[in-house]
Amino acid sequence: MREDVLGIQYAAREQHREAVTLGMWAFLATELLFFGSLVAGYLNYRIWFGDAWIAAASHTKIVLGTANTAILLTSSACMAMAVMTRGIGKRRAPVLWLLATAALGLAFVLIKGFEYYLEFQEHLVPALNFDAARYGDTAEIFFFWYFCATGLHALHLLIGIFMVLWLALAIGRGTLESPSPVRLIGLYWHFVDVVWIFLFPLIYLAGRNG
Amino acid sequence: MTAGLIWRCWLALVILLALTTAFAFVPAGSANILVALAIAAAKALIVLIFFMELRASTPLIRAAAAAGFFWLLIMIALTGSDYFHRTDQHVPVDEVRAAPL
Repeated sequence: MREDVLGIQYAAREQHREAVTLGMWAFLATELLFFGSLVAGYLNYRIWFGDAWIAAASHTKIVLGTANTAILLTSSACMAMAVMTRGIGKRRAPVLWLLATAALGLAFVLIKGFEYYLEFQEHLVPALNFDAARYGDTAEIFFFWYFCATGLHALHLLIGIFMVLWLALAIGRGTLESPSPVRLIGLYWHFVDVVWIFLFPLIYLAGRNG
Repeated sequence: MTAGLIWRCWLALVILLALTTAFAFVPAGSANILVALAIAAAKALIVLIFFMELRASTPLIRAAAAAGFFWLLIMIALTGSDYFHRTDQHVPVDEVRAAPL
């Protein structure tokens, strides 16, 4: 929707802006509880299984995980640049920042895929080839949780990448006049970043000094 | 938002990432996860306040954003207090599997 053509339900542009932003935050609240239940599950498992759970986490790839965190944080900065440059009416700059955001998102997914490949090689994938005799049963539960959490996060990121590419295309072609879609998809992108900010220490930083 | 502010936020996020990763290798017992989660919360606040523009949002938007986190806190606190205070003994998975049916 073009923001300069207000729908009849809006009295002013500011009201439109607040309404669409509120809608996005309402959606993000449902996403927060969705990912939050995974975090709650992690914390309860950690209380339950104690050291065995922490030892299981030490089989994750901390170098790849840390690199991916840096990549995702940088992608968020690029997204913020896209929103900012779009907000002041630029056309070329936001397209470039959006492409950078999507490229970094793709790099994250590829590194994540490489990590899954390494974990498959090391027989760490539950239901496919998990070596319970070598790693223990608690580790199997940890890696089941790990693949659920990171898989759902990667799915969200893939959806984000497609939306960011669509934005870049629409802005580049000049078919998208309103600054709202960039801002709203930006909120989604940053939210997926926030989820990762919490998943990172839980997955990669546990059990590094034992 | 200015470009300078965005990249200062990015710098703070990367420094916090380096700090939390380095601290993970310091043997500090249960302080490890507490510090890691505190740093994660600081990073999340930077993203929420600056990148997600809560700083410049109306009170309605801020309340809506806070509501999600508030409900999550209730969920984690209540499930945590349940599991943390259960007195029935934990049965290791191995023993359950080895036990005759």
